[in-house]
Amino acid sequence: MTTTDIPASTARPPRSTSAPARRPKREREGAAWVFLSPWVLGAIVLTLLPMAVSLYLSFTDYDLFNAPHWVGLRNYTQMFTEDPRYWRSVTTTLTYVVIAVPLQLALALGVALALKNMRRGKGFYRSAFYAPSLLGASMSVALVWRAVFNDGGTVDNLLGSGGWINKPGWSLLAVALLTVWQFGAPMVIFLAGLQQIPAELYEAAAVDGAGKWRQFVSVTVPMLSPVLFFNLVLQTIQAFQVFTPAFAVSGGKGGPADSTLVYTLYLYDRGFVASHMGYASAMAWVLLIIIGVVTAVLFRTSRTWVFYASEGER
Amino acid sequence: MPGHRTKGFCASAAALALCAVLAGCGGSGDTAAGGKVVLRYTWWGNPDRAARTEQAVALFEKQHPGVRVQTSFSGYDAYKQKLAIQATGGDAPDVMQLDYRQIDQYASGDVLLDLGKVKSALRTSEIDAGLLATGRVDGTLYAVPQGRGTETLVYDVATWKASGVPLPKQGWTWSEWADAMRALAKKTGKPGATDPGQSEDAFEVWLRGQGKSLYTKDGSLGFTASDLTRWWTFADRLRREGTVSRAEQTTQLDGTVENTPLGRGTASSDFNWDAPASGYLAIVKGGVALAPMPSGTDGTPGQYYKPSMFLGVAADTSHPKESAELVDFLLNDHRAAKILGATRGIPVNETIREQTASQLKDFDKTVADYQASLEGTLKDPPQAPPSGDNALQTTFARDYDQVSYERMSPREAAENYITEAKAELRS
Repeated sequence: MTTTDIPASTARPPRSTSAPARRPKREREGAAWVFLSPWVLGAIVLTLLPMAVSLYLSFTDYDLFNAPHWVGLRNYTQMFTEDPRYWRSVTTTLTYVVIAVPLQLALALGVALALKNMRRGKGFYRSAFYAPSLLGASMSVALVWRAVFNDGGTVDNLLGSGGWINKPGWSLLAVALLTVWQFGAPMVIFLAGLQQIPAELYEAAAVDGAGKWRQFVSVTVPMLSPVLFFNLVLQTIQAFQVFTPAFAVSGGKGGPADSTLVYTLYLYDRGFVASHMGYASAMAWVLLIIIGVVTAVLFRTSRTWVFYASEGER
Repeated sequence: MPGHRTKGFCASAAALALCAVLAGCGGSGDTAAGGKVVLRYTWWGNPDRAARTEQAVALFEKQHPGVRVQTSFSGYDAYKQKLAIQATGGDAPDVMQLDYRQIDQYASGDVLLDLGKVKSALRTSEIDAGLLATGRVDGTLYAVPQGRGTETLVYDVATWKASGVPLPKQGWTWSEWADAMRALAKKTGKPGATDPGQSEDAFEVWLRGQGKSLYTKDGSLGFTASDLTRWWTFADRLRREGTVSRAEQTTQLDGTVENTPLGRGTASSDFNWDAPASGYLAIVKGGVALAPMPSGTDGTPGQYYKPSMFLGVAADTSHPKESAELVDFLLNDHRAAKILGATRGIPVNETIREQTASQLKDFDKTVADYQASLEGTLKDPPQAPPSGDNALQTTFARDYDQVSYERMSPREAAENYITEAKAELRS
């Protein structure tokens, strides 16, 4: 806020309470829609319409070349009852989520805590830790990852472990590590959250004789829990949709022995490689429901562990 | 209330992220620039084929100053995926190289141009009628075969000779092959061959050696779970004893010669098609030679002459005439034939084949001699595989992964494959 704003804002209130001010408000709403229209149009054409089409296609047999024909629930029954590879992709994805999300959040929180009290070079380190998140979505980094974890690659040479990506027990971990490494976004959010915690709380805790650990458990964690929850929900949703790292690290095949065949990779395989777009659409809807359920469960449990300062006051 | 706002924000952000699950993707390229007609021509192959194709394309551009050809190539696996996406997105390249497996699907899906419409620019009179017929679907010509190929055992000559193991000979059986690989592995200390279990092609040769086939005439499966179990048990045993490549090596196969065990120097031989085997020359120091595939126990040959690859034109190309001219040039032009040699198999144009037979040199001659040695001994090729086979080829390798990583028995994996294949062929 600059000082020049003050006269303007003090001049406004009398006008806004007068009767004619209501019409401008409605006009402002109209203007808002005009400004929103590119986004709204985009959302309708690029998201809602394709969603509606994919819902329709999920009840059809559609090979992308010939017109879709209605098969009712066959795609869904086939998925649940006669496709062993589908279930493998579900368990692979769940395993991935359980590995990648906690690791990523722990790392993000750890780094944010380390950066919080840093006096010099904070900006530099924050950018440096954020950089992988900008690079990580790119194919090139995923390909480097593939080279690093391949046999004869860096990890093989350092640990003598053989190529992780060619071992079914290890390949998914290599994919998860690529995601974990991109902890920049949750880290920045954690950092912002940490800075919101009033210093008095720590001072009061210190006066009461609380050590660093006690302060972390009794002040930082509860005060940070809304942010933690936010990060948890977002990262979980994203983790369920992991595609690029699994695709690139496994050379597009989800191997070895289907060990990195995550849900969306199998969906891609069904849709674009095997040309069963109806089946792939059905898979997309089931994934939507799975993520919806998981998110709802997270929201449910949040009541027991997420602490909002405003509720505390009541 | 900041607390409530955070909650609401969480919920809406979550809802938005959910929507992203179902949002699609897109993308396309434009093909008109600088007043010239620009054609896109894509193929799969090894660097040797790429270099020669570029040379031939340059000659075509010289003859047709108004046309520029954008080329792109990759290994077969990557090519197959990319083409499928381009084709389904209405963005198929003007001229594309196709496999036998893709023709039925792409023709019936209106991806390919009826070549009868561009007859004047594309001559087919010098191509053997039987071979040309392999590019027809329901009587309409959609693609023209470029060459004739057959499978082969390609081996590292220096290593094999130094090992003292007798060289392969025509008419050898699968158990003789296994014995030779075992002896080779013992002498060289590394596996004799790529694990053949992952290869649908090798399985087909083995199956045909027993008088069976991958598919029946009406396009359903021509073998049972027991047949496949026997094949995978055979491969499984060889892998366990170190005769063929380990799972970690086998899983890295991606259709390029560079990523085969022979190409990496971790095995002494490989099954491949004859023409692409030229790619090994640059990477196998001891030189490579071609030997016939093993036959059935009674000497029934399993391998066959297959139209090795086709050229097709996109149905929605803006330049059908120029595209047809490029296809015509690649198939029928004498100078192009000289450049291309046998890089896509022995040429299909009979005049060219006769004229160039004596001029072939280096590996082209090796391929020609190899095919000549088999002339008259092979059985008729199977009819074009049903469109589901395109996906099943990948499924086959994946299911065998479960065996080679010892997560399933050959019997379990075979039964899985049969289930998946039946679902694939039904739709």
